[in-house]
Amino acid sequence: MMASGPLSLIAEITHRCPLHCVYCSNPLEMQARQCELPTEIWANVFASAAQLGILQLHLTGGEPLARPDLSELIATARKASLYTNLITSGVGLSEERLAALVEAGLDHIQLSFQDSQEAAANEIAGTRAHALKIELARLIKRQRLAFTMNLVVHRQNLDRLPEMIALAEELAADRLEIAHVQYYGWALRNRDSLLPTRSQWERSLEIITAARKRLEGRMRVDFVGPDYYAKYPKACMGGWGRSVILIDPAGRALPCHAAGVIPGLLFDNVQDRDLRWIWEQSPAFRKFRGEDWMPEPCRSCDRRTQDFGGCRCQAMLLTGDAAATDPVCTLSPMHGVVESITSSFHEVPTARPDWVYRIDPVSAVR
Amino acid sequence: MSALSAASQPKLRAGCRLSDSAQQGDVLLIPEGVLRLVGPGKKILERCDGLRNVSEIIRDLQSEFPAVDPARIESEVNTFLERLHQKGVLDIG
Repeated sequence: MMASGPLSLIAEITHRCPLHCVYCSNPLEMQARQCELPTEIWANVFASAAQLGILQLHLTGGEPLARPDLSELIATARKASLYTNLITSGVGLSEERLAALVEAGLDHIQLSFQDSQEAAANEIAGTRAHALKIELARLIKRQRLAFTMNLVVHRQNLDRLPEMIALAEELAADRLEIAHVQYYGWALRNRDSLLPTRSQWERSLEIITAARKRLEGRMRVDFVGPDYYAKYPKACMGGWGRSVILIDPAGRALPCHAAGVIPGLLFDNVQDRDLRWIWEQSPAFRKFRGEDWMPEPCRSCDRRTQDFGGCRCQAMLLTGDAAATDPVCTLSPMHGVVESITSSFHEVPTARPDWVYRIDPVSAVR
Repeated sequence: MSALSAASQPKLRAGCRLSDSAQQGDVLLIPEGVLRLVGPGKKILERCDGLRNVSEIIRDLQSEFPAVDPARIESEVNTFLERLHQKGVLDIG
């Protein structure tokens, strides 16, 4: 199948992070500081991305602020005509640095919050960052850029969803993104303490639907549901190799955050290969592009053009076969795997969870 | 929700801007989204400067395009701006 053009570039510019969130979307094996691409290579990547038709750049990590050249990176992206979005914990941001990022051309900032309650937020992040985030939100509002508050929800904080939405209103976010934890990497390790109960999930949907209606025109509310309770899978990354390229700190180009879990895939590096070649020709991007790889029931399913068979990494992690139908789909012959997980969670236990915290890549490499 | 009216003076919110991409044509870039502008979309947006109100934007376009049915221009402007307002893309003054 021919590749259509990508629209978004996710640049994981570093895996270093002062937070240790128990649901971090980074891979378990991270790239160390000495492997990180220098400023000028990123600048070339941004220019190639714009030539490929990419419109939006998402600067993420780790914590992007850990890179001292962040405002330079933003300036080069903006020069290449990209819309720049910074996804950050806020740790490392000051009033002066924020002003410099905006001056460099930053369009949008997404500030993550772990909870509405300080102690609970700090427990999830494995560090004290909550109070700082509240302070930063006020500084952001003084600048001319879009402000999204990101909230990851799970069993431990879902009952405080109305409070968390109220916090977003108080901080006057332009947009609120509420995402249920997705179970890959660190989150998969902590799944037993994060997966909500079915009744929590159903209640959260009611609360979000009502908030959306009430806040229309004032604050956009976007929502990512919990896969395990879905009837059909999510259109992961908008389909494999269909609209997104992710580049890790060392320059490897991946079709999604978690693709490294799929055995046998080789990810070409932007230092060795042209971005257009990687998008159009590289084996990793072609592997699950289109419909040729699909098994039944996807192959003959009417929904295959909407969800593209769901998530390849989830299929790998839950069934051991990356080319299987995403088992969260109720039509999947392997759906029992997911049901047996969800059916074991009916109540929220009161004991403090035994978290596996995300570590920093410096200590992750030998 | 505050409603859009003839007296509203819309302008794009911070973090929403027209693309200058040579590859993709007329698109409005917004947080986590791309809206393709078809028909009169771009011409309408270019007039959303926070000074002109909706009636003035309509009159402005009607005088620039005298061959087009004025009622059609009015309804297209209203529909387009209402849709953007629902997406949280506009400050409506």
